[in-house]
Amino acid sequence: MSVVSSSSNTRSGPFVALLRQLPAILICVICQPAASSVSAEQGIQTLFVEPLEINLRGNNRTQQVLVTQKSVDGRLLDVTHLSRFEIAHESLARMSASVVCGLADGETRLIVRHENSEVEVPVHILGVAGYPPVDFANDVLPILSKQGCNNGGCHGKASGQNGFKLSVFGFDVDADFDSLVKEARGRRVFPASPERSLLLSKPAGHVPHGGGLRLEHGSPDYELLLAWICQGTPRAQPGTPQLQRITVSPLDRVLATNSQQQILTTAHYSDGGTRDVTAAAHYTSNAPLVADVQQGLVHTGQAPGEAAVTVQYMGQVASVQLQVPRAGQADANAQPFLANNAVDELVAAKLAKMNLSPSRLCDDATFLRRVWIDTIGTLPTPDEVREFLAEPAADKRGRWIDRALDRPEYADYWSLVWADILLVDRQKLGEHGAHELHRWLRRQFDQNLRYDVWVTELITASGNSALYGPANLYRAVDTPEEAARSLSQAFLGVRLECAQCHHHPFEKWSQDDFYAMAGFFNGLERKVIAPGRALVYHAGVRETRIPISNKPVALRPLGAAAPLPAAEGDPRVLLARWMTAAQNPWFAKLAANRMWKHFLGRGLVEPEDDLRSTNPSTNEPLLQLLADRFSQDFDLKVLMRLILNSRTYQLAETPNGSNADDEQNFSRHYVRRMPAEVMLDAICQAAGSPESFVGSPPGTRAIELWDNRLPQYFLEIFGRPERTSPCECGRTSEPTMSQALHLMNAPEIESKIAGEGGRVDRLLAANADEARIVEELCLATLGRPPGARENAVAHELFVASPPRQAAEDFLWTLLNSYDFLFVK
Amino acid sequence: MHDLNRRGVLRVGSLAGLGLADVLRLQHAQANPVAPKKEINCIFIFTIGGMAHQDLWDMKPDAPPEIRGDFMPIASRVPGIDVSEILPHMARVTDKLAILRSLTHGDSDHTAGYHVMMTGQHPGFGGNFNRNVQNNNVHPSLGSMVARLAQGSNTLPPYVSVPNFMNSGGPAFLGPSYAPFVIEADPASPEFSVRDVVLPAGVASDRSRRRQAALREINRFERRVEEISRQERSFDTFYDKAYRLMTSAEAKQAFDIEGESESTRTAYGMTSLGQCCLLARRLVQAGCRFVSIENGHWDTHRKNTMSLKELLVPALDQGLAALLNDLDERGMLDSTLVVLTTEFGRTPRINVMAGRDHWPQAFSIVMAGGGLKRGLTIGATDKQAAYVTDRPITPSDMAATVLSALGIDPDTTLLTPVGRPIQLAGGGKPVSELM
Repeated sequence: MSVVSSSSNTRSGPFVALLRQLPAILICVICQPAASSVSAEQGIQTLFVEPLEINLRGNNRTQQVLVTQKSVDGRLLDVTHLSRFEIAHESLARMSASVVCGLADGETRLIVRHENSEVEVPVHILGVAGYPPVDFANDVLPILSKQGCNNGGCHGKASGQNGFKLSVFGFDVDADFDSLVKEARGRRVFPASPERSLLLSKPAGHVPHGGGLRLEHGSPDYELLLAWICQGTPRAQPGTPQLQRITVSPLDRVLATNSQQQILTTAHYSDGGTRDVTAAAHYTSNAPLVADVQQGLVHTGQAPGEAAVTVQYMGQVASVQLQVPRAGQADANAQPFLANNAVDELVAAKLAKMNLSPSRLCDDATFLRRVWIDTIGTLPTPDEVREFLAEPAADKRGRWIDRALDRPEYADYWSLVWADILLVDRQKLGEHGAHELHRWLRRQFDQNLRYDVWVTELITASGNSALYGPANLYRAVDTPEEAARSLSQAFLGVRLECAQCHHHPFEKWSQDDFYAMAGFFNGLERKVIAPGRALVYHAGVRETRIPISNKPVALRPLGAAAPLPAAEGDPRVLLARWMTAAQNPWFAKLAANRMWKHFLGRGLVEPEDDLRSTNPSTNEPLLQLLADRFSQDFDLKVLMRLILNSRTYQLAETPNGSNADDEQNFSRHYVRRMPAEVMLDAICQAAGSPESFVGSPPGTRAIELWDNRLPQYFLEIFGRPERTSPCECGRTSEPTMSQALHLMNAPEIESKIAGEGGRVDRLLAANADEARIVEELCLATLGRPPGARENAVAHELFVASPPRQAAEDFLWTLLNSYDFLFVK
Repeated sequence: MHDLNRRGVLRVGSLAGLGLADVLRLQHAQANPVAPKKEINCIFIFTIGGMAHQDLWDMKPDAPPEIRGDFMPIASRVPGIDVSEILPHMARVTDKLAILRSLTHGDSDHTAGYHVMMTGQHPGFGGNFNRNVQNNNVHPSLGSMVARLAQGSNTLPPYVSVPNFMNSGGPAFLGPSYAPFVIEADPASPEFSVRDVVLPAGVASDRSRRRQAALREINRFERRVEEISRQERSFDTFYDKAYRLMTSAEAKQAFDIEGESESTRTAYGMTSLGQCCLLARRLVQAGCRFVSIENGHWDTHRKNTMSLKELLVPALDQGLAALLNDLDERGMLDSTLVVLTTEFGRTPRINVMAGRDHWPQAFSIVMAGGGLKRGLTIGATDKQAAYVTDRPITPSDMAATVLSALGIDPDTTLLTPVGRPIQLAGGGKPVSELM
């Protein structure tokens, strides 16, 4: 740390805290001239410049400068694009906006000024004249990436573009080198007349180029490519350092709405050297409405919220987390958020940070309906609602949560949820296979067996698929590649599918990582013993090779430094042990995140099964807490109790003055449509008229069905998933016109409403009056007694028609109402 | 950000690999799909099972009997274009259509062939005979692409399937909003009605209006707009659309095939395919952009001659010819593209069961109207109709041709949920001879 001029306060507490927030960096500090007379409480305005020292090596190198001000109230503010820059020796370097460009070799200083502060940074420039030897991987490929040549919409797509193909994002250096230097009869690079090389003439617009102008003639990048061709297009320079990682600054930042933040991206090489790659890296925001990013500059919008910016450079990734709190005063009418448990404390901390006030607690009836649907996929009956509402005890919610978890429907519903994730598809597994796997799953939930234990049983499953359910998992995922892909996603939340064919664009996973995982399943046999039945067993490890390079890969779990020692027998035992260990970085976290999403409507990480480092959680301490609690005993019901008993789960959906736009931080309950099977059961239960399913005994409910292909129009149009891919995105709740038409007009539903023996029919047979009919129908559909609006709407119908018709019309109205279709 | 939570985030999150200009263009395109310049609609007829090209559209009378089969060519209205003797009606309308004789792809699996011919892209699996997988979630079908990118009538759904859902006809990653509206009924049946569009028995229209009024009231009673969740609001949109469809006279009329004159119905033939063609014309007339029709089953592994001559071809011959004549007479042929397609062709040599097996190396499809050139053939196969000898056309080229004719740029790029940029037509090029 070099302190150019400092006050006595510079080394006090806040400054140390500040250093922690700026881990990657800097420090040249200048305080206001008057600072020494200003007390720490009043605050000090300080200016920080990154990097500490500027080293430019070679002709086309530049250095982005990042200038940060710590304002008097302690906030960090990006002033890069507000600062004035001066180079001490103008003949040696010049500024292009906030970027330093070398002009001639030498030593100079960069002077940065903002308001009353001034910081100096030493600048060393070397090798401007005469190109140093150009390295293909370190120097040439980054230019192609930066210009977008190798993106998936252009030459990077599998078929290339107009005969010229590059590996997507430059993951395959050798192939790209061959493509440029050896193909097209040497027209792409033409050392005899370098400027006529297509590599230059196409992107510079000298000859027509479908991708347009990408490279300015005479620009540093153009000159570098030219130098590479003049040097004879070397593949690699001897002793060239390897790119090892990238770092970004800042790592996280709280930003105001409508503000901006420069990102500084630095590449680190094996020789300890660094290079500014801010301009060459790719940036993507996961929430552009909150914070959009273009070429390293973040712009926040009107909307508060959170965004993660993924930074990619030559196969390396990093991310920047941005928070944009709601502007304005806290909601004055908000109720205090009394924590029920540790979950709430972490949610409350986050809400305070985002300047959001939580909604009030939901009422008892809403709570009961919500818990029943979310936990057992079933509506509460009118009697249950009455009993719950009448109970005076203050702790009744917790006791009724336990009651739900003890119900037999618990196992029905959760085996349905997991059958989606585990691809229990009758079409692929056959009747015996699908039925056995479903039955086995139901048993795990019925007996509340430990999650790590039953997952281990699944991963290591062998046996006759018609007799032993878990063996069917390997008939659902029937190649080593598919097993690696699906099981990594289902149990770890690691999405590997990109890495099967190329380096994962948003992650560190390479094809090596992919095939090292696939290897565990290479040797699995599925010997057909009868149509639709197979004997599944592992016949011993077989050598696994990467198809493109034909390179053999040793078995290695994801992220493990060393391959597993070769062992006799079934390697899946080792894989399962690694996967289900409490220390596994993803296993418990994914289950916790799935569970959170199931009950709260949104994952702490979204999508819920994509736990990559560049897709951060909106509340990491909370996710960690849930994962830690869960990994103590892997008891799903313990985890559910923790979530269900939290005040956070029990909040009302109605927004207050502060949180109508919050869809990330759980300051209110996020409503969801009932899943297909649950909704069909709910309609049957509310109308008092069960559905009969072909091939199932009378009384079977939709949530109990094991056959996901059972022809059933309602389930088809309401988003029953096909179970052909492992993500829950197969289960969609997107509305369609067919759904609306079906709910309004389907004869099947009308016959439940008006059918003999149905709820309306029974009420009329018992001579119930209007008030009783309205109350009963509201309890049966909405799980609550009628309020003013239900009474008013019903009364109009009863005035217009005879009681039977009016009751049917009212039930129709309730079944189509959002308070019924949605979990509130 | 809930809206952005899955397809949204991934869509945007996946822009990483693209250049800035691409990002802006894509963001723009995804936010405001470019409306096609001209309003051309499509009727897409799929003969499922694999249509025997050498027995219908690409006759080889000089080949030995075990190759050429039992049918002889007949001259058609266009000199030089011969078709099979079992296509007498079609022979009289060859001036309105183009026969593409050089379709080719590499997959003799029904599932993969179906997928590639409905979407223009190979699903990534196949080679496994009759692997029974529902595969509509790999790439979006042409109909879903049109629903996504085309403007249509506000009342009728843009993409309709009849008489059933087609396994490869789904929206894939575009999402259920772009799924076909499926008319699960056979318009040739006397009881034909469109499911759920008409009020259920016992509910008269005044009663339905009371119900609708009650529903609006109960959903909005004393609630401020900002209290209504985004999920509910998006449901609202579809309730509104559904209600418009139920109550629209235009839609009612389009679906009411009984309203068609007896002579027109008879001209199309009282067969499933014939009446599906007629219904498709009515739907297109009323504003649908893409109507797909599945007809089968054309998988003639046994008794190929008898199956074609007696069971399959007469309905196709009559129905398709009537459709082209009808569209032409109404002045709708230029604004309606009619496509007759299939998974693949059938083997050159007749097998021991007097059938023909799967043959994706060369086969024929037919395109008519939609502003395309008429009265010609494109491409050629060898003496046995086994391999393409001139002008190979891939399924992607077929998709590009359909999209171009409908005014949609086939190179438009959309992103899959994992962020792969996918060109609508898989990089295919429109068949320029038709344009």
